Amino acid sequence: MKQNSEAFLDQAHDALQDSAKVRRRELMASFTPLARDAAMDSFGKFEALRNHVKRVRQHALDNLGHYLVQFEQEALANGNRVHFARDSAEMNSIVLNICQQHGARRIAKGKSMVTEETGLNDYLQKAGLAVTETDLGEYIIQQAGETPSHIVGPALHKSAAEIRELFLARHDLGERSLETTADLVGEARTILRQHFLDAEVGIIGANALIAENGYSMLVTNEGNGDLCANLPTVLIVCTTVDRILPRAEDATAMLRLLVRSATGQPQTCYTSFYSGPRRESDLDGPLEAHIVLLDNRRTEIMAGDYREMLECIRCGACLNHCPIYASVGGHSYGWVYPGPMGSVLTPLLTSLEKSHLLPNACTACGRCAEVCPAGIPLPDLLRDLRRDETAAKLSPSRWRLGMRLHAWLARHPRLYHRLTGLGIPLLHRLGRTRGSFRRLPMADGWTSQRDFPAPQSGTFMQQYRKAARRRGARRPQ
Amino acid sequence: MTPDARTEILARVRGASRGAPADSVRRELAGLGSAPAADPPAADLATAFLANVLRNRGTVDCARNRSEAVKAVGDYLYRQLRSQRLVAGNDPNLAAMPWRDSGLLPRFGELEPGAPAALSYARLGVAETGAVVTFTGKGNPAANNLLPAYHIVLVASDTVVPTMEEAWQWIGEEMAATGRPRGINFIAGPSSTADIEGQLVYGAHGPHSWHVILMGEEVPADALERARAIAGP
Repeated sequence: MKQNSEAFLDQAHDALQDSAKVRRRELMASFTPLARDAAMDSFGKFEALRNHVKRVRQHALDNLGHYLVQFEQEALANGNRVHFARDSAEMNSIVLNICQQHGARRIAKGKSMVTEETGLNDYLQKAGLAVTETDLGEYIIQQAGETPSHIVGPALHKSAAEIRELFLARHDLGERSLETTADLVGEARTILRQHFLDAEVGIIGANALIAENGYSMLVTNEGNGDLCANLPTVLIVCTTVDRILPRAEDATAMLRLLVRSATGQPQTCYTSFYSGPRRESDLDGPLEAHIVLLDNRRTEIMAGDYREMLECIRCGACLNHCPIYASVGGHSYGWVYPGPMGSVLTPLLTSLEKSHLLPNACTACGRCAEVCPAGIPLPDLLRDLRRDETAAKLSPSRWRLGMRLHAWLARHPRLYHRLTGLGIPLLHRLGRTRGSFRRLPMADGWTSQRDFPAPQSGTFMQQYRKAARRRGARRPQ
Repeated sequence: MTPDARTEILARVRGASRGAPADSVRRELAGLGSAPAADPPAADLATAFLANVLRNRGTVDCARNRSEAVKAVGDYLYRQLRSQRLVAGNDPNLAAMPWRDSGLLPRFGELEPGAPAALSYARLGVAETGAVVTFTGKGNPAANNLLPAYHIVLVASDTVVPTMEEAWQWIGEEMAATGRPRGINFIAGPSSTADIEGQLVYGAHGPHSWHVILMGEEVPADALERARAIAGP
């Protein structure tokens, strides 16, 4: 997918001007965390489960050489063809090759962030294939020519009214009302049903790959991915090497976290495990099944300091809980993965040069780390990326100079205390009457949105010393 | 197939992972223990299973035996569709049902597009999630789960297991005996979507109605009533 992360600041600025969209994002940000929290509260053992799944994931990554070979052997034994792809271009050409070998013209696709990453749809369409996204959210944004704004709900940035206009313009079905959400869903169902029945190739992603039996796990609520996996004569599973778990029970242990974190359900409506092509006695299912395992720098991440990021299970909880994501929306981030997980992944999967602004889109509030079902210390990883950004001299030189000055000052405590001892009481006196400042020199970016509270009196150290003296005076009694 | 990509990726993966011998990997994994499951909403399995099916927005019924079960299928079809049109997979369990008692006989095979209702015989029910488990194959073609507007599932009460771990235990034994099925489906609700403004709509692609009939003498007489009380409105 084309990347636009360099324009993050402009995109974020523009996103904040559209007040209807700002309100919708605020609404989503207020209710999605409630669903997750209620589900975790009623489960009651979030910490224990998170710790267990984390240990299993770490074990799987530590021994990925072992499990990857085991998965490949089992998948081959199940009758699949297994392909490896070093990068996006390689995955796209493997998939196109398979489609062309079968003379396929029509492709039905389940939701897959990996294929968003590789830009598969564009690639196949340029080769003359008709690709239809079948997840409702993905279908909507495909019709609108947009990109996903959320990894779980890709079209949540659009209003029902906008989707109605889109369907009226795109579907040649004559006069109809399409008043309710159910009408819209019904129309998409009718149209997509024919696509499922016509498609020669189905493409899906995988939420997990199981080493012990070569199955892949597919998690959906609509059942669209299952239709892609069962109706067309050829099935292609597009996934990445880091999705491998040792056992089936590890996949369903992860499922307990994944679904509660994403939507607040104990399980999605459809959780399916597919092993490969149809068996001899079967009446249905694909005649041929392929699994394409993409690397795209994941082995590089595995060997480096950001390895923990590979434990991400793509639930979207960090997006739903992030104040920056809620304010600026997913499109501002300029690539496939937005929010906290995206701000870590994008620099690692693309380049820090093109996306160094993203790790700065963080208030360090820590909510993402609190709710992350994979226990990934996202704010720490974002801070480390900012350190890399500074080391690579990608941040504005003004910031770096400021940081160097601050670092120097912080290493000279006497001077530091003297300077803050002058500044803070001054601010206290200036702001005494109102208790806050509407504007401050050199800080209008901050004060344009909110008032700056005036310090109560002196610095912390001044007050601490004063209090210590008082205590000291009292103690002898 | 690009063998160099495979060699290169495997080399990089091996370079970044431990390369411990297989039996020590197995020992380490066994030492990690097992995951905590959700607490059941009721002490007996039948009630817990039914309550979770209801929470998943399924509808439920109980039958003490196979004769009552086919009657329950017939009643449901009549209530919903005023029809007796039903498709069921070539599952010996379904073929052996006393269909005479219900006055309806399903067509056995794969659901044709447009048919409104299908019946599946679940391999398992999972109390923890209120899910039914089916295997693809002659006994239950995938279209029967995924394409009808009404999906009816029969679950024998002695096949209800408490957790997903126990489901895998059973599935593992079954696979060792009869081979791996192409697909294993855990179904926990009618097809749904919240992709438009976060509003939940049923019948996204597949069934908008999902009806589970729990069948067995040992299901407590008040299980249904208690499950309804637990699940709430």
